[in-house]
Amino acid sequence: MSGGDSTSDDGARSGEDRPRDARADGGTEAQSGTLDRALRDITLTKRIKWGMAFLISVVFGFFFFEALSEVGFSVAEILYYWPEFQEALGDFFPRTTLFGLPFVDFGSYWQFIQERDLFGAAIVTLAMGFAGTVLGIPGALLLGVLGSERVTPYPFNFIFRGTMSVIRAIPALVWALIYIPLGGVSPFTATLAIGTDTMGNLGRLFTDALEEVEDGPIEAIESTGANRRQTVVFGMLSQVFTPFIAWTMYILEINTRIAVTMGLIGGGGIGYVLQTQRSLFKYTNMMATILVIFVLVVSVEFVSQRVRSYIRGEEEEGMSVLKLVIEFPQRMVRSIWE
Amino acid sequence: MSTIEVRNLTKAFGDVRALDDVSFTIEDGEFAVLLGQSGAGKSTLLRCLNGLTNPTSGEIRIDGEPVKGPRDDVAMIFQQHYVLGQLSAYGNALTGALNRTSFFRSLVGWHAEEDKFEALRALETVGLLDQANQRTRSMSGGQQQRVGIARALVQGPNLLLADEPVASLDPASAETVMGYIRSAAAERDLSTLASLHQVNLAREFGERFLALRDGKLVFDGYREDLTVDVIDRIYGDVQTADIREGTEVSA
Repeated sequence: MSGGDSTSDDGARSGEDRPRDARADGGTEAQSGTLDRALRDITLTKRIKWGMAFLISVVFGFFFFEALSEVGFSVAEILYYWPEFQEALGDFFPRTTLFGLPFVDFGSYWQFIQERDLFGAAIVTLAMGFAGTVLGIPGALLLGVLGSERVTPYPFNFIFRGTMSVIRAIPALVWALIYIPLGGVSPFTATLAIGTDTMGNLGRLFTDALEEVEDGPIEAIESTGANRRQTVVFGMLSQVFTPFIAWTMYILEINTRIAVTMGLIGGGGIGYVLQTQRSLFKYTNMMATILVIFVLVVSVEFVSQRVRSYIRGEEEEGMSVLKLVIEFPQRMVRSIWE
Repeated sequence: MSTIEVRNLTKAFGDVRALDDVSFTIEDGEFAVLLGQSGAGKSTLLRCLNGLTNPTSGEIRIDGEPVKGPRDDVAMIFQQHYVLGQLSAYGNALTGALNRTSFFRSLVGWHAEEDKFEALRALETVGLLDQANQRTRSMSGGQQQRVGIARALVQGPNLLLADEPVASLDPASAETVMGYIRSAAAERDLSTLASLHQVNLAREFGERFLALRDGKLVFDGYREDLTVDVIDRIYGDVQTADIREGTEVSA
């Protein structure tokens, strides 16, 4: 013990002396010895790092090229079909002249939008996304809450977690295919599929949100003599009320996009128009449809973002519902023009 | 109004004895203060009294009835308030009435008329009637703690427990909140046991004092018995005490 102490003392002393005796031969030698060793160590670590990086790049590259050949990726094909695509591009963006300058012919888009009532089709798509989300919420709440370890004791909560995993493992489009015997190829089937998908996705987000609740308020409610279900609702769910709404809005955004793709397999709405026009090679009409899809999805995202930021803001300031309604037009205008 | 009888209460967490053979009786309507350093076992004792924690051995009887779990007639005020920030002060106060409201009715907020008045009366007691509709998230720490008191009062308890109710408040709010707890207890004739670590506050508000040190009850008496020497014994720094007494203490 004392021996160790004295060495460390010596070390400390020589350390103190170093600045003064830096030029003394003995000190420099010992010093350069340690520095050399440190440098050797650093160089070695660096080499190992480079070696690992190289190895990882090789493996990564190998898999990438394997993947490309698996999908038959070919630059030659792109070059071969380029003129055809160019022609299609011309149809996608029909040209007209505006004040003598070439410009995209929005008139022909507008014509198709009115002719096929694309906004009506967009409403159908929005209805699919919205109704599907709402239909999925009760299931998501049930599975999500029961899937939490804090509500259902481990391992029984895995029954519900597992159910959600299975639902999520099957894409919404596939759910629609599964439901075809139930409602044919229709917006109805698509809505059922979106509802099912929501139970899995939203439920999982609910479970995650519940993992973060604090124990304190739960105990506080428990101590009032509330029963188990009341403790879950008031102690736990009231803590995650805000995140639940935020996640639901987020899922609504996703479901609107899914509703568009549902049309591609015949589920109706605006996606179906897109599919029809594609098979007719009416590229101008396709682009008009895509523009409406863009407007639809961005609008839903916009509303969802506003709701979420309002909820967050409310947490900080405590804005009243009344104020929200009264000031809504004003804020809407501000967010558009500023 | 309640009588608390604690007999040979012991609570062990692994090898650590948080409570070691604690016995005492608190009479009807007494305002008792529980003293002790952090880690002395104050919270554990209160949690045992409230049924949130099960003792390892020993027995607690409240009005002769053994404590087996959270009870309607025992209310607790927590250090960190633990009010629901999402709800208004009124909504939080009403959660105190959950034990006499069915699940469905509590879910849709269909409360009995007398519970609504009880909640408002409790908010009035803690001076928050004007802020009844305000969300607790946007309230100050002292106000949130008063909401916590209101919730405890709505429960309609006979025994009020408070676990360091003012530890996270500034000195002025601490006195206000302690004042509300005492006046509420006096008004409703509640037996109260509040743990505190500020000796001056304790002396100002308490009549009866219990003190824990390393899980053992080291003092049980009234204000006149709580001398400087006693306080030294409860709080005195372990090391200084050793030097002064010249004895080896295995802590």
